[in-house]
Amino acid sequence: MRLKAEHIEHFYAQEHILHDINLEIESSCITAIVGESGSGKTTLLAILSSLLRASSGSVHYDDISLEAIKNIDEFRKKNIGFVFQFHYLIDYLNIEENITLNALDATKSSALLKALGIEHLASRYSDEVSGGERQRAAIARALINDPTFVFADEPTGNLDTKNAIGVFELFKEFKKTGFVVATHDKKIIDYADTIIEMEDGFVKNIYTQ
Amino acid sequence: MVTPIKALRKNRLKTMLIFISMVVSICAIFLISAIANGVVTMYSTMLKTDGDIIVTQKGISDTFFSDINRSLGLKIEKIENVKKVNTLILGASPVNNLPIVGIYGVSKNRFENYRLIRGKYPDLHEVMVGEKINNILQTPKTVTISKKEFKVSGVYKSDIGFEDGGVVIGLEDASSIFHKSASLFLVTLDDINKQDISAQINALDDGIEAKTTDEFIDNYNQFKIIKISSDVISFLAFLMGILGIVSMMSMVVNDRKVEFGIMRSLGFSSRAIIIKLITETLIVAILAYLCAIALSYLILDAIGHMEKFQGYINGDITPSLAISVFFISIIMATLGSLLPAIWASRVDPMSLILQGGAR
Repeated sequence: MRLKAEHIEHFYAQEHILHDINLEIESSCITAIVGESGSGKTTLLAILSSLLRASSGSVHYDDISLEAIKNIDEFRKKNIGFVFQFHYLIDYLNIEENITLNALDATKSSALLKALGIEHLASRYSDEVSGGERQRAAIARALINDPTFVFADEPTGNLDTKNAIGVFELFKEFKKTGFVVATHDKKIIDYADTIIEMEDGFVKNIYTQ
Repeated sequence: MVTPIKALRKNRLKTMLIFISMVVSICAIFLISAIANGVVTMYSTMLKTDGDIIVTQKGISDTFFSDINRSLGLKIEKIENVKKVNTLILGASPVNNLPIVGIYGVSKNRFENYRLIRGKYPDLHEVMVGEKINNILQTPKTVTISKKEFKVSGVYKSDIGFEDGGVVIGLEDASSIFHKSASLFLVTLDDINKQDISAQINALDDGIEAKTTDEFIDNYNQFKIIKISSDVISFLAFLMGILGIVSMMSMVVNDRKVEFGIMRSLGFSSRAIIIKLITETLIVAILAYLCAIALSYLILDAIGHMEKFQGYINGDITPSLAISVFFISIIMATLGSLLPAIWASRVDPMSLILQGGAR
């Protein structure tokens, strides 16, 4: 699946956040959106992932425009996963229940937990595991429905170097899924297939490695 | 089902506050309705005993104000298929140190309706007292009604609270206390068309009104006033319950914004979130209902045993009342949680990203 953004403009109040963004992102690869704070990378991530509607322009998943999708919740459930800076695990559910919260097939959770190395934490609660383990659980939750794309906003923002590298390595392991990562973290450069550099709401550079 | 219960357990304090607010509201509805029901049931049972037709003064709103000529009873007795005519004078008066007690002046042929547990039926200047009032007055030998002293001839027991907490007296004495000939006739018929006999009784005197007992009870103004008052107070309790749920659920939703944002980002529909929150409230509502019905039984039982109420307040939780209040509780929970649930379903997942600090 290919994700295509055309002429994306976005305003927040009177502020022009994004300027004529045009890009294409392939699934099955890691795309990093990098830039300084205020460069517009998170807003772009939100627009690409259907969480935010652009002031103008369009986003297409293959030939389907997000605007034309009648049931965006169902589309999100089947095609899109999210990983946030904070793990945002629901504290009254254990790790497994968090992962299967909106799973199309809850039986996949065991294999996924194993693949992420947290199968022994299935029955633990978020306050009983480490920060790195929480983020792994959040990644598992994003991956449970085999989405085409996982959008991650500063996924390593709260992790130490070791855990941060662990997260990027995990992204590399799930080859079928495209990861779109908005981050300050320079370490992403070693893992990303495509890097989109943002500056003051403009795409400054797109390069593939 | 497990997830809503876990969510409720996680937010224990607020769940408990919602639960208490619902228990209080449901309990209030139960008590108000049960007590109103009890009053209506007690009075209508009293009238229905040995009465197919009730004859009162025409156009009166309350049997206490009814004044009819006792001699009409003899004419009614002569109508074909009339089996028995009981004459009653209903009144209320201070008795000894009790500020108000129901006084039942009855014709001798009605004495047998009262189950004597001690002594004998009253003669002139004598009374028999209900068991409840006998206990409250500590087995008095005499009682004073309207500054007149009467000898207590016996004690009776009645399942009707008004009667058990009242005094029965002969018609002559009642007439001199309340200055009226009679309040009403209770007419017992052979198995025959009641409407036809009512018409014959009505034809005897322009100043009287004969109705079948059921007709009378259905149209009795006092019952209507009691019912409307209880419905209005119950409705206010219902509204208070809804307001309690709305305010607490709004706080719950505010506390759980992140959770709903996550759910939205994971593809939960607005409807799914609304259903989740309403389900949580319904679980609390069902538990609150069970607790409220048990509490109401306890309170009504305690009121029934309180001497100062003289047995006049007898709550009656009928199966139909219990079922109605159950549905009212469900509606209360649904309406109360609907607005906060809609609010929760509209939590923007973008707020999760912005909370992360980036842009």
